[in-house]
Amino acid sequence: MAMQGTRTALTLWIGLTLFAGSLILPAGSVSAADHSSAPSSFKYGTHLTDAERVGAEIWFNATAGNARFFTYVYQQRLGVMIDWYRVLRSDAREERFFRWGLINDPDCCKPGDPNCPAKSYDETYGFDYCPGDNELLTYVGKTGYRDPACDLKDVPLAHDDPHGPKDLRQSACDLEFGTSTGALGLRKFPNPKFDKVKWLKINGGRQDSWDGYTAKVTPRKDREAPAKSHLIDGSIEPPYRIGMSCGACHIAFDPVHPPKDPVHPKWENLSGTVGNQYGRFAQILGSGMAPNTIEYQVYGHSRPGAVDTSAIPNDQVNNAGTMNAIINLAKRPTFEEDIIKWRKTHQCPAGGDERTCWCEPGKDGKCWERSRKKEFVHHILKGGEDSIGALEAIQRVYFNIGSCSEEGWVNHLTDLRQLDPTMRGFGQTPFDIGQVRRDCSQFRAIEDRLSEVAAFLFSGPPADLYQARGLTDNAALITQLDKEFGKGAVAQGRAIFASKCASCHSSQSPPFENRDFRETSKNPKEKGLRVDWLGNDKLVPVSEISTNRSRSLHSNHMKGRVWEEYGSETLRAKPGDPQLKEPSDGGRGYYRNISLLSLWAYAPFMHNNAVGPEVCGGPIDEHYHSPYVDKEGKPLASPPPCWVFDPSVEGRFKLYKASMKDLLNPSQRIPKVTGFNSEVTIRLFPKLSDSNMERFVDTAIRFPAATPAARIGNFRHKELVGDLVMARVDFDKLKAKYVGRYGTEKGEQIANSIRAKGTELLAKPGSILEAGEELREVYSNSLAIIENDGHRFGEDLSDREKDALTAFLATL
Amino acid sequence: MNRNKVITMRHSRWMILASLMVGHTMLLGCTQEPPPVPYAQSGEGYSDKVDLARLEHELPLTPADLMKITPENLKGATQEQVDQIYARLTAGPIPDGVYDGRMFFPKGSSERARLAEIVGGGIKGFIVDRKAATLEHIGEFIWKGKVFYRNEGVLRNRIEDLLILKPIVGPNVEKIQKLDVDGKDAWLLFPAKLYCGQSLLDGRRESVIIDYAFTDDLPGYREMPDVLAGREGLEIRDEIRMVRPGFYLGRAYIKKVFALNFTLYNKAVAEKESAAFLSSETVNEDCWIGNQRMTAMANKPKNQQARLTATR
Repeated sequence: MAMQGTRTALTLWIGLTLFAGSLILPAGSVSAADHSSAPSSFKYGTHLTDAERVGAEIWFNATAGNARFFTYVYQQRLGVMIDWYRVLRSDAREERFFRWGLINDPDCCKPGDPNCPAKSYDETYGFDYCPGDNELLTYVGKTGYRDPACDLKDVPLAHDDPHGPKDLRQSACDLEFGTSTGALGLRKFPNPKFDKVKWLKINGGRQDSWDGYTAKVTPRKDREAPAKSHLIDGSIEPPYRIGMSCGACHIAFDPVHPPKDPVHPKWENLSGTVGNQYGRFAQILGSGMAPNTIEYQVYGHSRPGAVDTSAIPNDQVNNAGTMNAIINLAKRPTFEEDIIKWRKTHQCPAGGDERTCWCEPGKDGKCWERSRKKEFVHHILKGGEDSIGALEAIQRVYFNIGSCSEEGWVNHLTDLRQLDPTMRGFGQTPFDIGQVRRDCSQFRAIEDRLSEVAAFLFSGPPADLYQARGLTDNAALITQLDKEFGKGAVAQGRAIFASKCASCHSSQSPPFENRDFRETSKNPKEKGLRVDWLGNDKLVPVSEISTNRSRSLHSNHMKGRVWEEYGSETLRAKPGDPQLKEPSDGGRGYYRNISLLSLWAYAPFMHNNAVGPEVCGGPIDEHYHSPYVDKEGKPLASPPPCWVFDPSVEGRFKLYKASMKDLLNPSQRIPKVTGFNSEVTIRLFPKLSDSNMERFVDTAIRFPAATPAARIGNFRHKELVGDLVMARVDFDKLKAKYVGRYGTEKGEQIANSIRAKGTELLAKPGSILEAGEELREVYSNSLAIIENDGHRFGEDLSDREKDALTAFLATL
Repeated sequence: MNRNKVITMRHSRWMILASLMVGHTMLLGCTQEPPPVPYAQSGEGYSDKVDLARLEHELPLTPADLMKITPENLKGATQEQVDQIYARLTAGPIPDGVYDGRMFFPKGSSERARLAEIVGGGIKGFIVDRKAATLEHIGEFIWKGKVFYRNEGVLRNRIEDLLILKPIVGPNVEKIQKLDVDGKDAWLLFPAKLYCGQSLLDGRRESVIIDYAFTDDLPGYREMPDVLAGREGLEIRDEIRMVRPGFYLGRAYIKKVFALNFTLYNKAVAEKESAAFLSSETVNEDCWIGNQRMTAMANKPKNQQARLTATR
């Protein structure tokens, strides 16, 4: 049974999660950890080695320069607004978790609270007060801030590092920590361009609030148009630039030691690798947009804990995925793949092409060579797309969250508004690792410390339910589970798992009947890791699993796409899934068999958190709207309520049981389709009116409420526009295109339909939506709409067997 | 022809006209040679274009190269050549004072024709429309350039023939701010904000942004016609980079879609500062010039380094 569900794999939002679950380092690459001194404890984890500690500090705090991305680039280049004050305002600190899924930093406080060094919001511009702010706040509006990352205590370079023995690493200052915003993983920096006079003017003379800056101004002429705020006004600089570390998506509550109050966690309640199952990063990154914008409606509805990590590079595949746990990585399977990538070396041939071998100027012996070799690597991301090595996968996360975005990323992205195929921005072009290494110091600062980050990530152990319940051992847990699920349930469930699930969800080899799925490593260096990864990580055609396939059709690692250099040649050589109507060649069309370790703690299931109850932040969660639909696809009038976030042990376990029931009874699942919760109007012309200009005829495209977000997000509108033109200027070429793709009869029929639609559009531009609907199969990267179908394995088990399997999986 | 249709056509024209005045139009037909500077080979499709970081790394433009570029010979360049020039410029100082403006459309306009086919011929009502030639020429006649108020972070557009705009400007034209430029009256309309910000073509460094989004914040704002350029209108946003002192190359966007190129020229500044520029000793940078350029500058002799006053 390919129990592909569950907390799925890595991905991340815009990255982050991405790589996350991944790694296993090539031999020698964790050698920095070998140089560490005795394990120590500090707030980011217990019993960490020095290398792991360095890695944790980077993981929790390093933004690698992305504060410019989240303050300027994202807004101005992409045209999407983030209202950081709405998300991080200190006077709403108690609501932050339930509204945004963010985890409050235990070290920060609300100005004015007893023992808080800041006595008023005036002092902090309305934000929390956090360690380091006494220094940082003096630099708002000034240059000269010395970043706390400069004080990072690096571990010695590994003895076998090709760039050694002299330490030539990039300055740690370029890791750019800043200070906490009060939400873990979101970091703030003093904005040297802040102008206090302008700021007070826009905010009505108040320094404690950003309300004037963020207030949406209702259009005077066109009441249907989205309201806009001064967030789009680049002439006004906020006091802080906000950056994001990997921790933003990965730090959350330790399932074994949850907080009594999720709003006020302590460090011992937190884990940096667990994955934030509550985070609403899609909503955060659209927090400055009016709800009636296409950007918000297409990308702003991801479930808690899931985010479309390719929303920014945008491959027009709507595919929010979970931020999964990073645990037990040392036992994760690897695969031999054919890989072209940069590898460390000590020197380059004189006069050679620097696009194949490059040495950093002024750092003799610090060189990289681009070469093709076979290596054992992990399958990282939901479809195993990151496939050139764990270290590279870790670093890609930083780019996906905006590091080096100006130097080497945004020029390679798709601009959804660019309709001219001859112009830059029409489609993605490949990110150039060598160029970004050369031009972006933050790239080098991270790259030179990837071993330490990896060491930290490798330190994450599974979360045992018996420990979470305070029991002495797993046997005691089995006793409890047998009592709840029936005598002998766990043993029976184990037998079912071995015969029906383990072929996909075990990293051991068959036969499975006598395997110990909970065996612990005897290697003292592995600190209690499990022997079995509980997933074989092999890539399986999505049609076999039949879950929502959009994520598997992610195309960013294909030839010519933005992450081409992060995909192996082996990946791209895989054939497409012949069962699909959509294109699935070039490395698309697969999901990997994910791990079931600690499954009890990571419900709901599947790569999009869609199997199981919907979860939400309760009454104050304005982001939740029901995705439940009837058989016709219409929203249910009385949908099941969402379950309010409950990170307690019992809360997780209840959610686990409900999700297992949903998983094993697919015919009882109520279909889920995330739809627009507001009508959206896109005008081809502005609508203005006054005495001279009464109104325009309708040049608008209207998307009604409940329009499936995936339907729009997956649609290749540029190709439709190009075809409409081709139908007019070179119909034979258009016909040849579709005959080649679909055969003579269907191809000609499609070409004729396109031509007819073109004529219709001349009379009524707004009807492009209907045209798209009729030709959806032609222009959709994914036709999948239902989010919680598929993975029907186990539906034929009896109720008793389903309970038994549920009981056994809880012990893993 | 029904009333709605009449109104639509009329408005379409005025919308186009408004956009022209803030920097948008195209002039087809040109026989000039492009600026004699190095270019990388690029194909027609977006994926065949040279990467801009690679272009600048391998073919940087020297001050001597930049001195060869003129507003006139830019009209002999293809759009790709214009883009390649723009990507190798820095923002330079935010200009101050009166600049003459010219909109231009590069030669080899097949690319634009294709765009026009796509959005002008295929979906009516889009701003780029080859049939709008008359209006383009009107735009050329009435838009004469921009006036920068550097210390205030504000810009206004120079309009020299108000008559043609009268239907949309409305009454009380005497209240419109005026300026004497070389003995001629210039009305100042379409105010915009000035700041250093993101280029929509080349993210590797900042450009000087001319932003009409909150034009209503600015003194002298007049709802008609200024609203046409703002957030409720065409959402016009221009960006400029300095070719050399007194000479800027600009790109105009409507709703974040590239519309066309323009140049800004101040003869007095050009004549006064070009010699020093050629020796590379006195270039100020108000905007962040990017890590690639910073590294390149750091490797130059000190007397050839830009005066980096900009903060990242």
